[in-house]
Amino acid sequence: MPKEPETSLAEKTFVLEALKQNLRVDGRELHAFRDVQLIFGDDYGFVDVRLGKTRVLARISAEVTKPRSDRPFEGLFTISTELGPMASPAFEVGRPSELDHTISRILERSIRRSHALDAESLCIVTAQRVWSIRADVHFLSHDGSLLDASCIAVITALAHFRLPVVTVSGEDITIHDVEERVPVPLSILHWPICVTFSFFGDDENGETMYLLDATAQEEALRAGDMTITVNKNGEICQIAKSGGVAVEAEILMRCARLAAEKVKVIDKMIGDALREDELRRNKGNLDWLKEGRAENDR
Amino acid sequence: MEGLRNDGRRWNELRRIHCQLSTSGSSADGSAYVEQGFTKVLCTVTGPAEPGSRQRGRSDGATVVCEVYFAAFSGTDRIKRGRNDKKVQELQTAVQKTFASVILTHLLARSEIAISLHVLSQDGGTLAACINATTLALIDAGIPMADYVCACTAGQPAIGLGGGSGGGDDDEPDPYLDVNYLEESDIPSLTVATVGGGEKVAVVSMESRVRIERLEAMLAVGISGCARVREIMDKEVRRYGKEKLDGTGE
Amino acid sequence: MPIQIIAPAPFVDAGDGDDDDEGGVRLDVDNDGDVAMEGDAPSRKTSRHAGRIVTPGELVTDDPQWMRGHGTYLSTTADGSQSIVSSLAGTISKTNKLLSICALRFRYVPEIGDLVVGRILEVQTKRWRVDIAAPHSATLLLSSINLPGGILRKRTSTDELQIRTFFSEGDLLVAEVQTLNSDGQASLHTRSLKYGKLRNGVFLTVDAGMIRRMKSHVLTMPTSNGGGEVDIYLGVNGYIWIAKHTASLSDGAGDKGVSITRLEEEASEAIYSNVNEEISPETRAEISRIGCVIRALVKANIKIDEEMLNLGYEAALEEALQGYDWGSDTAAGKRIVDAALAKRRKT
Repeated sequence: MPKEPETSLAEKTFVLEALKQNLRVDGRELHAFRDVQLIFGDDYGFVDVRLGKTRVLARISAEVTKPRSDRPFEGLFTISTELGPMASPAFEVGRPSELDHTISRILERSIRRSHALDAESLCIVTAQRVWSIRADVHFLSHDGSLLDASCIAVITALAHFRLPVVTVSGEDITIHDVEERVPVPLSILHWPICVTFSFFGDDENGETMYLLDATAQEEALRAGDMTITVNKNGEICQIAKSGGVAVEAEILMRCARLAAEKVKVIDKMIGDALREDELRRNKGNLDWLKEGRAENDR
Repeated sequence: MEGLRNDGRRWNELRRIHCQLSTSGSSADGSAYVEQGFTKVLCTVTGPAEPGSRQRGRSDGATVVCEVYFAAFSGTDRIKRGRNDKKVQELQTAVQKTFASVILTHLLARSEIAISLHVLSQDGGTLAACINATTLALIDAGIPMADYVCACTAGQPAIGLGGGSGGGDDDEPDPYLDVNYLEESDIPSLTVATVGGGEKVAVVSMESRVRIERLEAMLAVGISGCARVREIMDKEVRRYGKEKLDGTGE
Repeated sequence: MPIQIIAPAPFVDAGDGDDDDEGGVRLDVDNDGDVAMEGDAPSRKTSRHAGRIVTPGELVTDDPQWMRGHGTYLSTTADGSQSIVSSLAGTISKTNKLLSICALRFRYVPEIGDLVVGRILEVQTKRWRVDIAAPHSATLLLSSINLPGGILRKRTSTDELQIRTFFSEGDLLVAEVQTLNSDGQASLHTRSLKYGKLRNGVFLTVDAGMIRRMKSHVLTMPTSNGGGEVDIYLGVNGYIWIAKHTASLSDGAGDKGVSITRLEEEASEAIYSNVNEEISPETRAEISRIGCVIRALVKANIKIDEEMLNLGYEAALEEALQGYDWGSDTAAGKRIVDAALAKRRKT
């Protein structure tokens, strides 16, 4: 089994000592994200997110199915993630690693359980026909912060996706072709964004150091981590810190506030990118876009 | 009813905690049983022992593995949770990671510490009870740890209890300490675990949406609860130790 | 913001329980400090069970004169001073300036020279892996056992092929810890006629901490009711073997002065036999009575040594209990233990 090679002691000391002097190996500030690049595909709901060398692809698809019997008014939404050898040779096909579980669990908690997608809006005919939305996340390259990148990817892809218009007349359900009727965006209630903090040992003042957007190397060396999911309204959707180094509660609060700040920036960035893409698609026809944004602004 | 929660407690009142060490006799190296209200968890620890066949063990420390079993009758509905259940795996990872960083693993090279948790009854705060039970079982097994890991939950009700509950303003109701199942499914809540009685937080887990301003209060209540839980567990460990030493007649 | 947490309503108040030793109770250095400081004074080597229980995370001392031992770690406080903190629940033991914590319950940690009872886990080409209830299984090399036909015989490839005829999986043996490697893994040897395969008896496990270290861990006890003599192997690792006494070959050698080679020939026949001798029902009854005494003592948290075992056995005889499972029965077991303790106080 190929295993991630361990970091040498010299490298480890180098990185940690540099951190104590507030320096990161790639020259970033301690609390700076790498540049997020969003590239949209030709289809709606296809996003390629690049965060430094990390690259994550998200694809949204929709189909009409029967709803669950205990929730007749709600559509279905699933997120599927799988880490394969494409991202890093350390990941194996068919044998989910712990990281795999963590990512799918936290995405689930962040996006699905916080009701980012209005499940009731996916209902076509109660108890008979609903939309089933599926988000497939592919990891193309792994250089740390897979979770943050995949969360951005899913949210952006959901906001970018357009659902074909459906008309119901009596028993008949007609799904209109994209050419026929302009498809509509999904009803997204809020945009939860994951921010992962990596904790390292104490600095000179005896305070735990924390980094944002760690690279794969920093992830391998960190003493603990915590993922906070926040939306731009300052609501925390989820916190997950399981184990790792114990951190003062005060620092946790500082992290939470910092996360809220960062999320505002990312949120705006995603909004801008979406608008730009829309402009490009409609060659300056903005009426369309206003419709879409109004929904998202809720 | 003024100022009381649905089970008659005040906002800052813990449920009854009953804990016991060495429950499984000599079949395990350490064992403990914890009841927090109606949440009941049994934990057994085997190790430090030869690692299983899967890996040869790390040369620089012990590996910690954790298995969680939910009894089918533990919840309100009879549900058999398999090994691949998401909730089970989540608990396993949380417990495993927490204790891997608290146990002084470097003293136990090339060995394995196996934690096995049996959830017998769930009434909110399952993760917290699991963590507390594991702490006690590890102490019973004589495995070196930096400190107690104590866990507690805190919830944020939408409306205050009214009455004379201290501190909270009308628009900022007091957080509930140690939520039960009803409260857990009703209001946003978080689980927090601290190392030692202080403010060092090892685990925070929250799954519901809450305003960032309210987080601080919830954390603070949870952490104070952890400190109280530590006192209770410490008392039981001392009582057990005393009983054990008295027998030797020395 | 100060938060007051109300303690839950008490369940069963087990006695008082309200000792005020919560929080950072410090080691009383003044009491023992002067003893330790007079370096030449013949101080007690270890003041076992200083009486106080410490729990993980508890500050043991912040006095820099002490050295930290097992069960403790150093913690640096905000102002840079170092203090010794406990990592176990147990009692403090002091050896001169060394502070260590003796856990209430722990796994056996092998030490060179320990007599252990073990069980074969796995047979490999030139060695056995032996379970001795330690963190790591021990190894027993083919070259560390008495080969049939003489100690001085060279080990041959035939022996390697026949390795299962000496010990196979599941066999019990008594051995001595010869060496330890850096991980604390033990290597055993049975190169003495005292050691070897175990038969003619019953196996019992107790916590390793319940066996007191003694001069000899192999006891031969005369029993009444026509039981004859019974051998008790008290493995330091908590494994115990109680068996019918067999005339030890080494005893024979001392008395009769049989030549070494002659002795070895005899040894070769008996030593690796898998067949039990004939054991009379009386002996079986006494073996099981001793087993019950051990279980009762362990249940009452009393360490096992030769004295307690003899006293306990006497007490059990006086009670003349029937059946062979009263050791775990609290009432009868407790009576025996109390009687034994009373006897000890008298002597």
